[in-house]
Formats: sequence, C-alpha cells, structure tokens
Amino acid sequence: MENNLLFYILLLPTLAAILIVVLPTTNKNTIRWTAFGSSLIPFLLSVLVWFQFDKTQPGFQFEVFAPWFSAIGSSFHFGVDGISLPMVLLTTILTPLAILASYGIKDQVKAYMALFLFLETGVLGVFISLDLLVFFLFWEIGLIPMYFLISQWGGVKRNYAALKFILVTIAGSLGLLLSIQIVGITTGTFDLVKIYELWPTLTEANFQKAIPLGLSLTVVKAIAFWAFVLAFAIKVPIWPVHTWLPDAHTEAPTAGSMILAGVLLKLGAYGFIRLVIPFFPVEAHRYAGALAALATAAIIFGALAAFAQKDLKRLVAYSSINHMGFVVLGIAAAAYAWQSPDNGLIESATIALNGSILQMFNHGLTSAGMFFLVGVIYDRTHTRQLNELGGLWAILPRYGGIFVFTAMAALGLPGLNGFVSEFLVVRGAWGIFPLATALSMIGLFFTGVYILKAIAGLLHGPRNDHWLSVPEINTREVWVIAPLMVLMLLIGVWPASILNLINHAVNFFF
Amino acid sequence: MNYELITWLIPIPPLLAFFVIFLATYKNNRLSHTLAIGSAALSWLLSMIIFLAAVINPKMIEKGIISSISWLPTAQTWLKIGIQVDALTVITLFFVSWTILMIFIYSVGYHNFGQPEGDHDRPGLPPHGAAIIDQDGKHQHVPSIEPMYARFFGFFGLFAFGMYLLVVSNNLLTLYIGWEIMGLCSYLLIGFWYAKPSARAAGQKAFLTTRIGDVFMLIGLVALYTITGSLQYDVIFSEDVLHNLATSISPVMGLSWAGLIGLLVFFGVVGKSSQFPLHIWLPDAMEGPTPVSAMIHAATMVSAGVYLAIRFFPVLSAGWDGGSVLTIPMLVMAIIGSFTALFSATIAVAQKDVKRVLAYSTISQLGFMIAALGVGAYIAAAFHLVTHAIFKALLFLGSGSIIHGMEHGVLHTQEHIDPQDMFNMGGLYKKMPKTFATFVIGGFALAGFPFVTAGFWSKDEILSGAFNGGFDIVFWVLAIAAFLTAFYTMRQISLVFLGKARTEAARHALETPHTMTIPLFVLAFFAITIGWVGIPEFFPVIGGLVPNWLESFLGMMLHGEHAPAAHHSSIPLITSLVVSLGGLFLGGLLYRNIKATEKDPLEWSLSGFYKVLANKYYIDEIYQFIFIRPATWVAEKVVYQIFDQKIFDGFLHGVGKISIWLGDKFRYWFDLPVINKGGDNMALGARKIGTNLKVTQSGRIQDYMVLALAFSLLGGFIFYLILF
Amino acid sequence: MIPLSWYLILAAVLFSIGMFGAISRKNAVAVLISIELMLNAVNINILAFWHYHSQSLGYTEVNGLVFAAVVFIAAAAEVAIGLAIIIAVYRLRKTVVASDLNLLKG
Repeated sequence: MENNLLFYILLLPTLAAILIVVLPTTNKNTIRWTAFGSSLIPFLLSVLVWFQFDKTQPGFQFEVFAPWFSAIGSSFHFGVDGISLPMVLLTTILTPLAILASYGIKDQVKAYMALFLFLETGVLGVFISLDLLVFFLFWEIGLIPMYFLISQWGGVKRNYAALKFILVTIAGSLGLLLSIQIVGITTGTFDLVKIYELWPTLTEANFQKAIPLGLSLTVVKAIAFWAFVLAFAIKVPIWPVHTWLPDAHTEAPTAGSMILAGVLLKLGAYGFIRLVIPFFPVEAHRYAGALAALATAAIIFGALAAFAQKDLKRLVAYSSINHMGFVVLGIAAAAYAWQSPDNGLIESATIALNGSILQMFNHGLTSAGMFFLVGVIYDRTHTRQLNELGGLWAILPRYGGIFVFTAMAALGLPGLNGFVSEFLVVRGAWGIFPLATALSMIGLFFTGVYILKAIAGLLHGPRNDHWLSVPEINTREVWVIAPLMVLMLLIGVWPASILNLINHAVNFFF
Repeated sequence: MNYELITWLIPIPPLLAFFVIFLATYKNNRLSHTLAIGSAALSWLLSMIIFLAAVINPKMIEKGIISSISWLPTAQTWLKIGIQVDALTVITLFFVSWTILMIFIYSVGYHNFGQPEGDHDRPGLPPHGAAIIDQDGKHQHVPSIEPMYARFFGFFGLFAFGMYLLVVSNNLLTLYIGWEIMGLCSYLLIGFWYAKPSARAAGQKAFLTTRIGDVFMLIGLVALYTITGSLQYDVIFSEDVLHNLATSISPVMGLSWAGLIGLLVFFGVVGKSSQFPLHIWLPDAMEGPTPVSAMIHAATMVSAGVYLAIRFFPVLSAGWDGGSVLTIPMLVMAIIGSFTALFSATIAVAQKDVKRVLAYSTISQLGFMIAALGVGAYIAAAFHLVTHAIFKALLFLGSGSIIHGMEHGVLHTQEHIDPQDMFNMGGLYKKMPKTFATFVIGGFALAGFPFVTAGFWSKDEILSGAFNGGFDIVFWVLAIAAFLTAFYTMRQISLVFLGKARTEAARHALETPHTMTIPLFVLAFFAITIGWVGIPEFFPVIGGLVPNWLESFLGMMLHGEHAPAAHHSSIPLITSLVVSLGGLFLGGLLYRNIKATEKDPLEWSLSGFYKVLANKYYIDEIYQFIFIRPATWVAEKVVYQIFDQKIFDGFLHGVGKISIWLGDKFRYWFDLPVINKGGDNMALGARKIGTNLKVTQSGRIQDYMVLALAFSLLGGFIFYLILF
Repeated sequence: MIPLSWYLILAAVLFSIGMFGAISRKNAVAVLISIELMLNAVNINILAFWHYHSQSLGYTEVNGLVFAAVVFIAAAAEVAIGLAIIIAVYRLRKTVVASDLNLLKG
C-alpha cells in the first residue's frame, strides 16, 4: 500500500506543537483546544491505517522511504506491522486523552502542550522507524519532553525524579547507541529490513573486515546483545532496574504519568520484540530463562511493593512493574522458542507473545486510566495518602464506580481486558517456563491484594466529612476515562477485535 | 424450538439490567428493581423452557446441546467458547433460576422498598430507620429504605449473569470468567455497606481468600489447556484425552497430569466452596445483606465450586476403576470434604449469631458434597447440591426475615441489642408464623428429617455412597457431622422460635411483608418435594413408588463408567435416621426453654472447649500470625524498604555519590591546582614582569628617543658583529 | 674641490646637535626644530653622496635629488602635523613642555 499516512501521523504532532508555540500566550483555552484538536488528527489517521491494514500479508506495510544520511547507510524508513500498529494506535488514543486530562494545568500552558505533542512524535517515531539510527533518534527525542514535563509541572520531589529518570534512561541509551553502531558498522546499513537479512548471515570473515579490532563475532554479538538488553530492560523496566519508575510516575503530572506508563514503558518491550529477538536468536534463547526469572521477580516483587505503599499514586506506579512483568514473561517465552523446530513450543510461544503484545496495549489503557483517576482525586483533595483519604464512595458515587471498574480491569478480572492478556501469557509461558509461571501466580494473587487495598483506602470506610465538599467527577473528566473504559470492556468481551491482527503478525514473526 | 439460541440468551438479561441500572436508571428505585427482577424472571423463564424440554425429552440432551464460537485467536487455531446443555446443566439451571428469582423478589422487601428515607441514613451503612408521625399523631420509628437500593439490584444483576454464564458454558474458560465475576460481586456485595469497617474487611477477606484458590485453578486450567489444546468439556472429557492425562506423569511428586490438574482445580473449589483450609471467609461474609448471603453464600456461588468439582469429576477420577482405590484428587477430596463437614459443624454448634450458624452449616454441607465426590458418589453429590441450594437459600432468607422482624422490634423499643444474636430472641413463632413454618421446613431439610424432607434423601444417599463404597472412616465422620447438623439446627430453631421472648425487642418483632414471605413458601415447597425425585429404588417400602428419576437422568453424564454400587445395606439408613432424629431431639431438649439470663448449656458442659469452638479454633488468629503478618512484613520491609529503597536505590544513589566524589576529586586535585592555578600563575608572572619594567615607561618622549637611540646603537653593534 | 668627508663631518655634527636637542630640550617646539636639524643633516649626506656618485659616473642621475625632495616633503609634513599637535596640546594642557606630557607613563 503506497501512501504517506504514517508520515503525516508522525509529523502532524510536531507541526501542531510549532503552531501552538506561535499562538498568543494569553488565551489558554485556545491553546488547549488547539492541542486537543490537532492530536485527534493523528488518531483518526491511525484508525484509518488500522482498517486499511491487510493483516494477512507478512512484512511491513504503509512503508515510507526517504534518503537521509546515505553516506552511512541511514534513511528515513517508516512502516508498520501487526506488532507496532497496536502500539501506534495506543499512542494516538492516549495522547488526546492525556491532553484533555491536563486542562487543569495553569502554568505555561503553551510550553506544556507543545512538549506533549512533541513527545507524541518521539514515541510514534520509535514505533514506526525501520531504520536503527532513526529509531535511536526518536528514542532520545521521547526522553527530553518527558524530562521537562516532570521537572516543570511535577510534584514536590520533581527535580529528583526527573533527574533520576533522565540519567537512568540515558544510561540505557548509551547501550542502545553502542549496539546500533556495532550492528550498523558490521552490516553497512542501518535499514532494519536489510539488517534482518544480513545480520544472521554474517560470517567471521566479512565481519573482520568491518571491525578490525581482533574481537571475534561471538564476543561482539554478545556485547551488542547485552547493551540492547540493558537499554530496553531499563525502559520496561525489568526488576531490578525499575526504581526510577515509581519516582518518575509519582512526581510526573497526571497526564505525564498517563503517557509514561501508557506508552513510554512499551518502548522497551517493543525493542525486545523488534530488535533483540530477531537479531540475537542464539543469545536470546540462551538467556531467556534468566529473563523469565527476572520477569517473575518483577511480577512478585512489583505486586508486593505496590502493596507496601501508602501513597496511592506510588501504588499504581508499582502496579506497572507488576503488569509489565507479564509482558516480559511472554517475551522471554518467545525468545526461548524463536525459530525452534518444535511445533508445540512455537505454539506456546506464539500465544505468549500474543499475550505480551495485548498486555502492552491493555496496560496502556488501564494504567493510564488508573493514573488519571488518581489525578482526579489529587486535584480535588491535594493528597494521595491512603490514610488521609477513604470514605469517598459515599461522596463521589460515580467516581467510585469508575474507579472500581478501572481497578478491576487492572486486577485482571475476567470479562475485562487484563484477564485475556494475562491468561494468554500464562498459557504460553506455562509450556516453556512452568516454574516461573507457577511462581508468578503469587504475584497475580498480590495484584488482588494491592488493588483491594487501594479501593478500601480510597473509597471504602465511613463517609469522610472532611472531603464533603469535594466535587464529583466532571464531564470533561468522564470524557477522558470513558473511551478507556469502553476499550477495556470491548477487549475483555471480544478480544479478537484486536488480537486477530496481533496473532497474524506474531505468526509471521515466528 | 431453537434451544441453542435460548441457552445462549439465558445469561444476557441480568447483564443488560446491570448496565441499564448503572448507566441510566440508578436514580429510580422502582424502575431499577423492576428491571432487575424482570431480567431475572426472563432468565428463569428461558431456563425453565430448557429444563422442561430436557425433562420431557431426555434424549435431547443425551449427547448434550453444544454450540460454540471462536473467541480467542491462538497461533494457528482459535480458542472456542460456547454453551452446553446436559443433565448437570439442566438440574443446576433448575435450582439456580428458582433461587435467583426468589431472592431477587425477596430483596425488594428486605431493603424496605416503599418505606420512607431514613433521617440519618447515608450510603454505605445499613438503614437506621426513620422517625415518622403516624395517622394518630404519634411518633414512631419505622424501618427506612436502603440508601443504595438501585445499586444493590445492579450488582445482583451482574452476579446473576456470572452464575448463569458459569452454568451454561461448555468450557472451563467461560466458567472461570463467570466464576470470577461472581467473586467480584461477592466482594462488592459483602462490602455493600462499605462504611462498616467489618464489612469492608470481610469483603476483602472473601475476595482474597477465594483468589488464592483461583490462581491455583488458573494454573490448572492453563496446564490442562497446554496438554489437551482445548478447554471444552467435550474435548477434555473424551476418553482418549482422559486416558492420556491419567497415564502421563507430571513433574510434580510423581502425580499423573490428571492428578496434578485435578488437585490444582480442586484448590479453586476449596476456595470458592469455602472448604478447609480456605473456609475462613464465608462466616465473615455474613456481614453482607442477607439476600446476598442467601444467594451468593448459600445457593449459587459457593455451590458453583461443587458444580465445578462435579463437572470436573471425569478428570478428578481419571484412572479410577470404581473400586476402593481412589485417585489422589479423590482421596484429597474425601479427606478435606469429610474433615470440613465435621470441623465446621462443631463450630456451628457454638455460634450465637443466627446467620453465622447457617454459614458454618453451609461450609459443613459443602464438605458433605465434596466428600461424596471424593468417594465417587457422583449422583449423591449432585443431588445434595440441588437440595442444599434450595433449603439453605430458604434458611438464609428465613434468617433474614427473622432479623428483619427483630430489627422492627429494636426500632420500636429503641433497645440497644444485637438483632442477630439468637440469645436475644425466643418465642418468635407467635410473632412470625409464616417465617416460623418455612424455617422449620428448611431446618428439618438441613437436619435430614426422615422421609418428608429433601435433605434426608440426599444426605442418606451420600452416607450410603460412602458406606457402600467401603470408606468407613468417611462414613462415620460424616455421620457424626450429620448428627451435629441436626443438633445445631434444632438449637437454632429452639432459640429463635420456641420458648419465651428473652428481650423486649423480640416481644415486638413483626412478621415481614409478602415480598419476603412468598419466596419463603416457594422455596419451602421445593425443600420438601425436590427430594422425591431421587428416592433410591431399593429403599424399603417406598422405594420404587416414585421412579428414581434423578439417577437415570444424571446417569447420562456418566457414560456407564462409574455405575453406583448396586449392593445395599441398611446400616447407612439406620444411621441417618438415628443421627437426624437424635440430633433434633437433643437440640430441642437442651434449648427449648432458655431464660433471658441463662448461659448456653454447652458452655458449662464443654467448659474451655466451648471457647475454642466459639472462636472457630482460632484459625483466623493463626492465619493472621503465620500468613498475613509475614506477608505484610515481607512486602513493606523486605521488598520495598530493603530491596527497592536500600539496595537498588542505594546502588543508584551510590553511583551518584561516586560520580560526585570523582567530580570532587577532579576539581580539587586537578582542575583547581593544575589548570586554574597554572593559568593564574602565568598571568601573575606576566604582570610582575610588567610592573618591574614599567619604570622604563616614563612617558617622556625624549626618554623614548634615548632608548630608541640606545637600541639602534646596540642593534647596529650586533649587526656589525654578525656581519664582520 | 671639497672632499666628501667634510660634508660627512658637517652632516654628523648637525645630526648630533639635532639629536642632542631632541633628547635634551624641554620645549616641544625646540624638539621639533631639532628633528628638522637631523633631517637636514641626512639631506646633506644624501646630496653629498649623490654629487660624488654623479661625478664618478660621468653623467647626472636624479635619484639623489628625488630622495632629498621626498625627505623635504616628509619633513614639511611632519612639521605641519607636529606643530598642529603641539598647538592642540597647548590649547588643552597650556604647556608645551615635553616632560609634562607623560600620559604614556607606565
């Protein structure tokens, strides 16, 4: 399919950001509505892409190609397949909602909205780039607006959190840059599609021509592998490099947390699927067990740490580690079985990877919803401490109902989206890592514990007369959460609506 | 008629009611409950169509009506979900639809529809009653309507959806979905009065305790799915698959895969059906409104656990030859079931709360069913499942009616007593005759009063199943439990209804409205008659008068594999008669005439042990000590504070500190002394030279001229020297 | 015929007198006059060498005259500018004493 839709999707947010910069500063509402309206266009375009996408075809579609840095073999090459398309859709869905959620921002609205739209370009760029250098470029572009969003509009400890976020992720980016250079130099191109063909066929001889350091190909591959893994593991984040996440999420403004948890974490997992497994099948297979063990640790310890929190937003932040653990568990299963001759393994791995990708999408919906709802209550009460809240259901019945719904989706209640993906991951991983899967059930149990703790701490209890004047959730806020809730229910009841596309892509993947 | 479509439709109306109530009609109480009851009635009607069709023409369901659709794409195949109607579905639909409909109707009265709003009522608390001025101009306290009336019916709708979904589904995945949705509703409804800390805690306890079982069950489902590639009953219960499961060895303790999966799934049953050691949540669940206890915690949800065990029986018993050598899961079931039956019956004996007695009784009766399955008495378990659901729902509704009547008395007299404590009641048979009559029927059914009641037939069948199979220990344990059952039932009936009123409130108790009593009568009718469908043919005198319909009907499920033991002994029959009548007699004797200040007769006869019983063997405290506190400690101290904050963040901060330290060293050891100082010194040196040389700069032109002259001469001289 | 050395001695004397004046006189105008003296001494040298050189060649070249003319022009320009500066300094400082004009003192 020859058209430039992806290019428009990618560029429109940046253009909108520039437009917002030249708007007059005084009229905040114009800025807000412009930002919101212009973020809807990429959404509509990506819906168009979704429906025009031919899922029965392997490979990338909607490819856009433009030479950029031909001297080193890098070019603007964009395209989507069934793995990245859900992520693109997720990003374009969440950005308008996050913008709508940040109408409460009063300081420097212009800068805020412009940064937000710029962030969208960065994230979309990572998902649709088919060129490693451009991938890296967008990867870094995504960091900077987020740093400023946290450090300018964040909570009390925002400077600490923003610094921790940027330093830890940049530490990962270094690994990414190193591996991209290695891959680029040894294959002579940065184009992903070409590298997929070249990289596995590299021989020692033509490798030595490219890197005359006297290192063997295996050593270099191992270095590149671990550098990639480090970069993506920090971003996901995989236990134990996760501690930047609770701070960044807690201190970020509400919409920042929505995007951070909803989309930015997916970059890491996406990197694993797109780059690590196809590039390093041997290493991935060898270390898949370790990855599964870390995923299990993330599931269990993420849930336990969430349970230990007294701050509601921190609790939700830790729940991300718990949920992303399932994503990584599925990826570990896929890494173990990739291109294995055993059909049973492949089937399990396909199901696990299906689950992983769906879980990425689902976590995007639920965590964004949860962060938003925490933000709603924080806007009104200016506290997030569970021991100061409580008894709000009697005052805010509608908000309470929405919160319980979203929390149940996060808990993985069957009938809502979280269950489907967790079931798929567990089903797939069981065939490959039974022990890790069985242990992850402890985490699944504690997911229930911390979700109930949140509900009990926020909503239950005797009516809290201290918050009697707290207003009910308003129409704009309902409009933010309603699309998320509809999607949660839709995916829970009819998962094939999205999973069918993913499943085809994953079948081609193996 | 298109039975497939009808079955597909059965769960839908309550779900729609749920959505409509929460999205639109939540402000209108009358519309909300009409919708809810209407949807329950519609589901009931559809269920009855299926039921009657199946009863009239059993051939229809011999193979099972199965219809499925592709739901979840999994690699090259799809996971299918769908509906199935077979004998077990049909009889389950029967009691589920009746109890659900009756309890929906009952709730209208229970939540005081039509009464004024309370003066101090607020959402999240039970209504406190309203002060009104009646026609005579007198101030009166009357019950007030539940503040969250519509919400209650919304949750009920969702719950009914979950239960129907579980019953009609043809695969374990949708069964699990219904199972969990019910779990959610159970949580929401136990914590319905969420402002009460006890209700909030009870809701969480229920959800989390059952979730422990659920995660095991999920692993069991996943393992089964991995091995068989399907979760549909017709696939996983086919003979080839069962044979494979029974003969392949799993990696855990040498169990066969059937054994391992069976145990895992059974653990889910243990959680849901509240068996030891996960029984602790059910008694606390009595914090919820009584219709909730009746529907969820007696008739449907906890029965769903046993339903699953019955459904899953082919796997649980895979490899069993019908003899006395049980499979591991069956053995575990027999042990846990019979132990729970006896264990919780002893606790029930010492409870004072009218609902808690019933709660422990439910646990005990579910234990009977599990034990029956454990010894292979498949039909007896299913039979008891049906009868128990009916009479226990009846008893709970009756207890709700009693409490309601007592609350009326409490409001009237403004006495500060617990309206649920049986020792505050007494003599209610005069005040609440309808409730009394139906409660006695339910109680006698529970106690297994011979010949008349349904409970007798089903319990007798369990006992004879255990005895005839040769499982003497199970038989005697269950017999003792049955004796205790009869005893605490009569203790309850006597304390509540017989004797004289022990409090002022009991003296002013009032019969409840029709919306509450009519369901009682309907259920009481079934509590008697339902037993007659399963009278064994070999039973003395009346055996064979009525054909044993149930056995032939449910027999279709067994494919002739595990034919029930044909030989018959009269020992179990005599035992049932003795324990039932003996227990009833003893209970009546001890508790008939308790005075207001008198202690429980058991308290002096059992002395210290009574306290242990009243405190439920301190299981809650033990769990608190060995599970909950360590888990909290691990979460807060180890995982969060030590791992995250000390080690990982400590590492990060360490890296930060090292960087800062390095930066410091670079600054103070290199930058400042070498670079900065060097530059400064160079500048200083130049300055010093300049200062010293500035004397030559007199500013006078002639001085410069002299200098110029001197240097020219010097230059000339040097030039001269160089040249010559 | 006057030998060349006489011219050279005269020029050297004139130059030395000029140099002494330039270095030792206080009055800036006198310094200027002394410089003129030195320039004239140079001119005498140039003309003397030109003359003798022409004689030894046997015909007349104009090089020496041109040199002398350039020196005159330079001297005239110098005097014009120098006097202008001195007048300007006098207007500003009310003095033409060279040793008082020591703004350049380090």
